[in-house]
Amino acid sequence: MSLFLASFGFGLVTAAVLAIAAVGFTMQFAVTDVLNLAFGAVMIASAFVAYALNQAGVNVWIGLLAAAAAGAAGSVLLNQGIYTPFQRRGSAPITMVIVSLGMTLIIEFGLQAIVGGTNVSYTMSQGPTVRAGGLVLTAVQFVIIGLAIVVMAAVHGLLRYTKLGKAMRATSANRSLARNCGIRTGRIVTVTWAITGALCGIAGTVFAINNGSFGATSADLFLVVILAAVFLGGPGSAYGAMLGAVIIGLATEISAAYITPSYKDVIAFAILLIMMVLRPGGLLGAAVS
Amino acid sequence: MTSAQLYYLLNLLIYAGIDIIACLGLSQQFGVAGVTNFGFIIFQAAGAYTAAILSLPNDSANGGFQSYLAGWNLPFPVPWIGAAIVGGLVALPFTFVVGRRLRGDFAAVGLLVTAVMFNLLVTNYRPFLNGAAGLSLVPAPLQGEYDPSGAGYQWAYAAIALVLAAGAYLLVRRVTESPYGRSLRAMRDNDLVADSLGKNLLAQRTSVLVLGGALAGLSGGILVGYITTWAPGAWGYAETIVLFAAVIIGGAGSHRGAVLGAILVPVGFEEATRYIPSTFGPPGFVDDLQWVAIGLLVVIFLWFRPQGVLPERRRIIGATAVPSNTPNEDVVSLAGPLHASRGAATAGSALPAADPAPRATASPAAADGGAVLRTVDLARDFGGVHAVAGVSIEVHRGTLTGLIGPNGAGKSTLLGMLAGTIPVTSGQVIYQGRDVTGLPAYRRARLGLVRTFQLASEFKRLTVMENLLSAVPSHRGDSLAGALRGRRCWRRDEEAAIARARVLLERFGLSSYADTYGGDLSGGQRRLTEIMRVLMTEPAMLLLDEPMAGVHPRLARQIGAQLLDLCAEGMTILMVEHELAIMDEFCDPVIMMAEGTVLATGTMTDLRARAEVVEAYLVG
Repeated sequence: MSLFLASFGFGLVTAAVLAIAAVGFTMQFAVTDVLNLAFGAVMIASAFVAYALNQAGVNVWIGLLAAAAAGAAGSVLLNQGIYTPFQRRGSAPITMVIVSLGMTLIIEFGLQAIVGGTNVSYTMSQGPTVRAGGLVLTAVQFVIIGLAIVVMAAVHGLLRYTKLGKAMRATSANRSLARNCGIRTGRIVTVTWAITGALCGIAGTVFAINNGSFGATSADLFLVVILAAVFLGGPGSAYGAMLGAVIIGLATEISAAYITPSYKDVIAFAILLIMMVLRPGGLLGAAVS
Repeated sequence: MTSAQLYYLLNLLIYAGIDIIACLGLSQQFGVAGVTNFGFIIFQAAGAYTAAILSLPNDSANGGFQSYLAGWNLPFPVPWIGAAIVGGLVALPFTFVVGRRLRGDFAAVGLLVTAVMFNLLVTNYRPFLNGAAGLSLVPAPLQGEYDPSGAGYQWAYAAIALVLAAGAYLLVRRVTESPYGRSLRAMRDNDLVADSLGKNLLAQRTSVLVLGGALAGLSGGILVGYITTWAPGAWGYAETIVLFAAVIIGGAGSHRGAVLGAILVPVGFEEATRYIPSTFGPPGFVDDLQWVAIGLLVVIFLWFRPQGVLPERRRIIGATAVPSNTPNEDVVSLAGPLHASRGAATAGSALPAADPAPRATASPAAADGGAVLRTVDLARDFGGVHAVAGVSIEVHRGTLTGLIGPNGAGKSTLLGMLAGTIPVTSGQVIYQGRDVTGLPAYRRARLGLVRTFQLASEFKRLTVMENLLSAVPSHRGDSLAGALRGRRCWRRDEEAAIARARVLLERFGLSSYADTYGGDLSGGQRRLTEIMRVLMTEPAMLLLDEPMAGVHPRLARQIGAQLLDLCAEGMTILMVEHELAIMDEFCDPVIMMAEGTVLATGTMTDLRARAEVVEAYLVG
């Protein structure tokens, strides 16, 4: 199998993990206007919930569901307990970002104080090697890609065809107008945190599965890759985040194969910075003047 | 005191000096200028690496176990000077991120990403700065002449660190307390408005990045000379949060707060936890809790005391003003006293004192058929919406021209394009016979074409007096160079400006509010402050966006009368207003817009007689 196809396959897997996370992050931002930098911390905390169950003998894919629930609960709690009170006070977006960084430290290192500083792995089988369309990946990697496709389809269905999705888009476009139109924006925001929190939990677990081993601070770097995908697609745009995830996933893995793996994340960051300077609205967003 | 205790104490003093310098740099950026630099630690790292490779011998020394650039073995204090210079230079590319019209939180994320990226690059590329292992065996300053482990040397090192910290304190105070510092704070409170008043945001942000970067670089140089080693692990992005915690807890924008924060957080807090026995909990447990506590401190302080322990102090300038209890209702005419003060203020310049609108020289305007401002097919699209679609208007000298139209007619967009705050899609703006279409807002403001905003736009954490002073054009203290040269350089300009501001405050009946924060004013007082502030720019032409919105009708009439007086003195005003009664009374001619185009121009009486105008207003 050629180097290109191999790296393309890995790129798809990375893109799949990234897409789930990036869509969650960008929807959080769209509806609540918080750049929640604690997203990575919640991801890993959820992955550890799955790990605890896994250690108790539960299958990791059932653990994934528990992680989704934990991510949803944690995110709703984070919003209700911290972000909403600050926003009610009229805190500036930049204050919210600093608060979310503070929360990152609290969650990550609080977790590390509990689970310790060494990396852990799930007990699971990678499954047989599967060949499909010239790609050679493990069954688990195919499951991750499949899972991402299902999640993306579900998000698309939610945003396009449900009343809830419509209300979320309305809240995102103009919260006070949406409220005046009879949309219970407080509830929409909470539901959004629950949904995106579930995505965050799923993303954390598949990230941990895909990484092989993980620790409390493993998502630090990945958070920046998520930001790259989000900003590439246009902050707040779910479809943009999907596109950004595919581009960043492929770009990092293919460059890792052809240049050197040490710099694969640097590629993602460079793309992010170039986008911020040239087109801060992202590929699918309006060019912000 | 045992010698171990003495060494420990000196160690604390040295760290205090280093952290104070770094926190002062960050406070200048974040607290004073509002630039949230999440990449701040890079500047310290750059300074530390620079000092290291300037003082280290060639990398073949010590058996060649580490590889790095330079290795010039330069004597003290060259490495420290180099550290400060490189710290400042490294800041320059960052301007691309913060100088753009990027949301503050987006720019902050961009800087955070840059910090992570630099750390990755340095970690992975070994030939540059020895990769993840970092540099070690960095020579301490003057270690050939003195013994770095001696108590005398340690005393001297601590003394030098603290003297440099004191120097940094005086430097940032000199900048912040100058008119330039006031402009930085104005930018922090509302950058769009600062831009419209003639502040060059890019230059201002660059200068604070470079100044803060140089201080951070210096702190890195002092640090590496003391600990003699420097590696990527020492400057993770989280270290920036420690410094942010220090600045927020101490009091962002307050220099004494930065000093206190440096002593409380990086020095005091981290040292205090050292006394928790390491046998407490599993390995790394105490370190983890320390990070949790830093996070908690940031969140708790932002909630309970966002201004910090030692808040930025209020600058009292106007308290000694002429005692005046003139209520707003008694505002009469601006013409007399204001005119006199303008003459006085411009007497020092080359322009004749009698000219009421100093920069509106007659000749270019005359060359343009008497139009001070003219547009040619001006258009602006937002996505697919033609907000303004081919507008050609002329505004003549000395007129109070009205601009009316239903909501969504494109009035505010047009005003924004005239002022340069909204980019033009196509067409031209000709001001005093000169094509200014490509000029940014601050350059147009400096030519005397200044706007106000529809929404209240006071600088919230500047007093009313400071709001006024912030608008003074070509103030000698309003540049980094002027600020560094000190009060002697700009005191005269400042006094003249204060005198002018007092006259305006008197006329508008706000003298007793001179030392009130802009954010604490009532709606009507904010509008008045905005109008006074724009008059401080000595404009030739004013672009007013609903200056009477939310103002008591009686006060609105008085503002209108004052605007007419200004026009009689030669000023030109284009005013957006919804209140037709105001238009009837004060504006002539009136331009009527609808759906992005000009529907009609004429006196209000003319317009009322035209069916399509009435229809547009009724339908719209």
